[in-house]
Amino acid sequence: MRAPNKLRISLVATAAASLIAVTGCSANAPAGSSTGGGSDKLEITSWWTSGSEADALNVLIDGVKKSSPGLSVDNAAVSGGGGANARQALAARLQAGSPPDAWQVHPAGQLKSYVDGGQVADLTDLWTEGNWASQMPKDVAEAQQVDGKYYTVPIGVHRGNVLWTNPSVLAKANVRIDAAAGVDGLISSLKQVQASGTTPVCLGDKDIFASAQLLESLIMSRAGADNWTKLFTDEYSFNAPEVKQALEDYKAILALANKDHSAITWDEAAKKMADGDCAVNLMGDWAYGELLNAGKKPGQDFAWVSFPGKEDIFDYVGDGFSIPANNIPHAEAARTWLKTLMDPKIQTEFAAKKGSIPAVTSADISGLSAYQQEAAKSLASGAVVSSLAHAQAAGAEFAQTYADAVSTFNGSSNIDAFIASMTQAQKTQL
Amino acid sequence: MTTSTALPPAPPGPRPKKQVPHNVKTSRRAAWIFAPSLLVSFLFVYVFIGITVYISLSNWKIGTSPNLTLRQPFGGTYAEIVQEQRFQADIRNVVIFTIIFLVLAILGGLIAALFIHHVSVGKGLFRTVFLLPYALSFIVTGVAWRWIFAPSTGVNEILRSMGIENPPGWTTDTTILGALNHPSGTDFLKVQFGIPVALLPIIFAAAWQLVGFAMAMYLAGLASIPEEHLEAANVDGANVWQRLRYIVLPQLWPSTITCFVLLLHVALKIFDLVVAMSGSGPGFVTDVPGIYIYNYLTSRYDKASAMAIILLLLTLVVIVPYLVRGYRKERKA
Repeated sequence: MRAPNKLRISLVATAAASLIAVTGCSANAPAGSSTGGGSDKLEITSWWTSGSEADALNVLIDGVKKSSPGLSVDNAAVSGGGGANARQALAARLQAGSPPDAWQVHPAGQLKSYVDGGQVADLTDLWTEGNWASQMPKDVAEAQQVDGKYYTVPIGVHRGNVLWTNPSVLAKANVRIDAAAGVDGLISSLKQVQASGTTPVCLGDKDIFASAQLLESLIMSRAGADNWTKLFTDEYSFNAPEVKQALEDYKAILALANKDHSAITWDEAAKKMADGDCAVNLMGDWAYGELLNAGKKPGQDFAWVSFPGKEDIFDYVGDGFSIPANNIPHAEAARTWLKTLMDPKIQTEFAAKKGSIPAVTSADISGLSAYQQEAAKSLASGAVVSSLAHAQAAGAEFAQTYADAVSTFNGSSNIDAFIASMTQAQKTQL
Repeated sequence: MTTSTALPPAPPGPRPKKQVPHNVKTSRRAAWIFAPSLLVSFLFVYVFIGITVYISLSNWKIGTSPNLTLRQPFGGTYAEIVQEQRFQADIRNVVIFTIIFLVLAILGGLIAALFIHHVSVGKGLFRTVFLLPYALSFIVTGVAWRWIFAPSTGVNEILRSMGIENPPGWTTDTTILGALNHPSGTDFLKVQFGIPVALLPIIFAAAWQLVGFAMAMYLAGLASIPEEHLEAANVDGANVWQRLRYIVLPQLWPSTITCFVLLLHVALKIFDLVVAMSGSGPGFVTDVPGIYIYNYLTSRYDKASAMAIILLLLTLVVIVPYLVRGYRKERKA
């Protein structure tokens, strides 16, 4: 009986050791937050926790510390779920009446749900004081408003509809993907890749937003930027022939994608593409930073093209910050934070780390990557529309209905069912 | 229970008679002792259930901006969600999950317990091995299982090396086994009812994790079976199977019921394991009510609450008969 006893003792010891390790780790977190005191504090929440995101956030934190020395900044970022977890945590704090000093938010639709709840502060005075609206593209400035008032400050602009490509796979199949060839051109190119023996499309939609974003890019390309925007004012129907065509395209592209797409995540899919497992991957330009972090070389291991379509549409996914309307713990520090975000230098530095492009047009982009410079050009000249997959084009409920309809479609490929649920949502949820 | 030391040890088997004499003084004292916990459980269980019921009937949509007006027509949220493809898939999934999971975990636990009870070497080792998974969180094991069942890596690598060219897609498979209907997508019934193949790896992972728990319950049950019963059966010439069938299993019945009830709630509220292993899946083949509630918490508080209440009702359907049976027995005794 000695052996089992020994085993038991060692098990208990291991358990105790791991318990100490776990409590030790969690004890570290609040320790940072309790240092510094009084009014020299600022607590911000976001979902920026991955390598490149955390680095970018640190640029902002260092910036605000420089403009108000002695300020202690509490970074209360929550990871996972494309921000869903962070928003849940924020919702709980807002309900309890103990909000952070500032929180990350996507503009337009997502912002609107906070405005409807009366939780975000009106920042129109800050905007007029700094004359910020004149410093950015009109579409971007408008997305920061709800009913003519400004409620958020943009720190950067992401593009959702970028087609990342693997040059060597395309060369092997003897295929060139041309944005001007439109969706039909794209699909026939992809079929050529398939004939060469490689899976044409990498998709990772364990989190459904990846599929939702692919379908929205197709709808934008088929219907055009104007009609896309009209979908959310019910002036254009999901029952339109262009949307049906986009659903047919989506079905065709799903058939050309890796079979295990529902089991892998978006970043895994992007890396698979760069590894040469397939030719293309549609993802927002946050994939750029992810690929760089994975040691992939732009232009060599991967290249990019705007998502094919008849016009250059910029699928806008915005990053910004809002501050609470009520119970704000450190109002002065929060306003300093927002002003820091609008500093062109900070915007450039942030973009360099995050892979996004500055919202402010006066920011110097000459030091940024070739991809970012190209995207900045598109932002200035293309049609800028908001993403639905990121709950920006419409409110949270409509966006969730869309995500559910895409999930259902991925299982059934039933176009009529998709259109029925979306037209119903257009009538009741807008 | 403090007085039990003064009493003779309770005889095994039949239920002992009342141990503490009942009078006004002791019952008043008992009321005082129980009051705080009763109050807390009343507040945090029943009041909150009541609030959730109310929210599910209200117009409260965005989680952070309360709207407590009642929705017209009454119960409209329930009428709305039962028509959803996702809701119907969730109910199918949770019922299938619960049934297969309970059978696997309870049978597995019983076999493991019988094995450990009769094995003479390394009892402690086996017990620890079987119990260890239970000590881990579903998120941790879920991530490991996700890679084991990843179609392009994991167990499929082994299958491919064995010459199987088209190994299963595991959680990505949208096939429904034994489908009972073929929906067009626009009728009321929007999902195929049957056994979603994609759920099976998740059920297996959940059962693997909780087999140890069932085993522990059964080991306790086995230890309480009087040796004399088995010896008497031996003398009467009963073989191994007969002893198991007529002596052991009937006396393990209380353990089975307890296992059933405790594992049932694990199955109904499953969330983290599914999130880690597959998420909602294509066509919601692996979606469960827990994920539904989580997804709608911020955008449709009323819908999330309605689903929570439906989940509660699902639990009650099974638990209430069990409780009623328990009360009846107690009254008889």
